[in-house]
Amino acid sequence: MRRLLRQDLAWAGFILLMSAAFGLWQHWNLVRLGWSGGLTAHLETVREQRVQKEFQGVKTLNLAQTYKIFQKGQALFIDARKPEEYAELHISGALNLTRERLDKEGTKALRGIPPGREMVIYCGMSSCQAALRVAEKLQLLGFNRVMVFMGGFQAWDEAGYPADIN
Amino acid sequence: MTLGIKPLLRRLLEIIWGGLFGYAGYLKLLRPEEFAEAVAEYRLLPLALVGVAAAVLPWLEVAAGGFLAVGLKRRSCLLVIGFLTLIFLVVLFITAARGLKIDCGCGLFMGRTVGLGPILEDGLILLGAAGLYYWELVETTDKRQ
Repeated sequence: MRRLLRQDLAWAGFILLMSAAFGLWQHWNLVRLGWSGGLTAHLETVREQRVQKEFQGVKTLNLAQTYKIFQKGQALFIDARKPEEYAELHISGALNLTRERLDKEGTKALRGIPPGREMVIYCGMSSCQAALRVAEKLQLLGFNRVMVFMGGFQAWDEAGYPADIN
Repeated sequence: MTLGIKPLLRRLLEIIWGGLFGYAGYLKLLRPEEFAEAVAEYRLLPLALVGVAAAVLPWLEVAAGGFLAVGLKRRSCLLVIGFLTLIFLVVLFITAARGLKIDCGCGLFMGRTVGLGPILEDGLILLGAAGLYYWELVETTDKRQ
């Protein structure tokens, strides 16, 4: 049995090396960018292109722009994360609204809010698409001043901006 | 010629395990930048190695899963799958303990958040791979005696 195990480990090592070599060759650009320090910028560019393609017409905001709007105090902030994540901590004054709830309730979920109200939607982090999905649905429901804060709550929290638990 | 049920069952399980694992790797190959983002979000590797991990891991999954599914070097493939799954489990535990609610980057359900679901799934894969490896080893040893 020990001999079999040694053989198995040897072949496992071969599979590992072969896959690693193939992977490095096929995605050499990613590896090179990682080593040269350009990977983060490249991933952000690719993500923005993906988002623009998939969610055409949805305006996006960075952290500085979002905080400026927050300080004016007129926009409605919407947290698109799951209720339990929202309950832990969220941007001060934000409402919780998921895509699932929006699909189920439609405009009832935002009763009393005029279609022209400025809204900023966010979710967990820059790679999360929940906010974009909510924004897309809101636009379909007639809300025409919808924007998405792409950095997400993680960026907001790391910047030390106001957050609530209730 | 009579075919034993046990070898057939074992082979079927290997095809399923290998197929799922290989498919998970294939999904990551289709979107390498998204997978690299998911790896970076874990904040466990320096950026210099994120590119390497994003380049290598999907091919490892495809190779180990694919070879297992078609029946080539099955025990070795199960060792690779077990090894990879063990690493994923450790990473998931560390990330969950740090309270990071990020996309797990898991191939089959890309939008899943790190938590109990992915941990249970990977635990099941690990147990399955370990069990199948032991079964194969015992069968091979019995045949040789």
